[in-house]
Amino acid sequence: MCESIYGKYREVLEQIMSSFVANLHQYNKKVYEETGYKLFEHLNSRIKEEESIREKCRRKDLPENTHSALAELKDAIGVRIVFSFIDDIYKSIAYIKSLSDCRVVTEKDYIRHAKPNGYRSYHMILEMSVPYEDVNGNYPGKYYIEVQMRTIAMDSWASLEHQLKYKKSVSNQALIVDELKRCADELASCDVSMQTIRNLIRKA
Amino acid sequence: MKILLAEDETDLARALVAVLKHSGYDIDAVENGEEAVERTRQSAYDCMIFDIMMPKLDGIEALKRIRNSGNVTPVIFLTAKSEVDDRIAGLDAGADDYLTKPFAMGELLARLRSLTRRTGSYTPTKLSFGRVSLNVEDQELVSENSIRLAGREAKLMEFLMLNPEKKLTTEEIFAHVWEDEQDKGIEIVWVYISYLKSKLEAIDADICINGNEGGSFVLTKMDVMTALS
Repeated sequence: MCESIYGKYREVLEQIMSSFVANLHQYNKKVYEETGYKLFEHLNSRIKEEESIREKCRRKDLPENTHSALAELKDAIGVRIVFSFIDDIYKSIAYIKSLSDCRVVTEKDYIRHAKPNGYRSYHMILEMSVPYEDVNGNYPGKYYIEVQMRTIAMDSWASLEHQLKYKKSVSNQALIVDELKRCADELASCDVSMQTIRNLIRKA
Repeated sequence: MKILLAEDETDLARALVAVLKHSGYDIDAVENGEEAVERTRQSAYDCMIFDIMMPKLDGIEALKRIRNSGNVTPVIFLTAKSEVDDRIAGLDAGADDYLTKPFAMGELLARLRSLTRRTGSYTPTKLSFGRVSLNVEDQELVSENSIRLAGREAKLMEFLMLNPEKKLTTEEIFAHVWEDEQDKGIEIVWVYISYLKSKLEAIDADICINGNEGGSFVLTKMDVMTALS
């Protein structure tokens, strides 16, 4: 087995990820203490698998090296936050944007602008300024985190859609695609209704 | 049920208003075609009764303008002349039925009942306003995004889209959308208006529903300033 594509930065990645995740848990706890409700339901994080980042380098015509993995590709660290309510997603976005060591590189609102297949989620690429050297020799270093935020409904839809994507051939593909799209729109409708009901309860 | 009557003969108009009110209809009466067109811009009606010969704008011309604006409310023509040409012109302009004067009140009432119970079949399958369209059959609301509406939401959205830019009272909405479920409390209207307000936002629509709980609601285009904010 050759050396990890992340080289000597592997441990740094772990540390950056766990401190970002700890920060989010801390914020979730704070909101819980203030309101009695969790801001988000759960959170997953991962360092991108060796093989899948190498594959992505090849797909994007990048050399398979540490510089590509850490400075060109921006999803070596991935965090997915799953919420019960849509408004809490936007509240969390505002919180993340307020962090002093964090700059938003790109953001895509696939909740307001769903993909044609019905996919909904909020994506952000963050550039974190951290007290470690980065692959370009900067200190403080710059590392990237990809954050995906979605509701429980959007999350279960995405995992179902994922199954379709990785299945080589589905006999009734077109029908399944249409039905998934319809289902995404129905789930979106429920998400919005639940948010509206919560607002009505809170106002009452 | 709300009826618009356009009739310039005062005595006949007065008699019709009395009979229709007595039969439980809400009725707005005007004296010429121009006023009739104006009223249809402001309010939603379940049926309209138009005289053909009227000052300012005759019934046929008035109906053409109303139909051109996308309004599909059923219309009954009253005509003094029993001439075939008049009936043909009226029906071609978009009338659904006609009665020749003199007519029996009982027959007018029966025709009103017949036309209003078939309202559903007059509704087009796709409605649009601004950039938003509603596929009535699929209950799908589309703009930048698309979203599926629940049954009653779709019915409410359909009623709003058939009557854009008109003030619709909570009572009127309740009577239309929950006609078969009158045992539900009228507060349900606000809940469903709230759903639709959020759903229009969720699809990034350029139209919105204005109005407050218990009052009147208007489906309207957002002005550029609010759309940008």
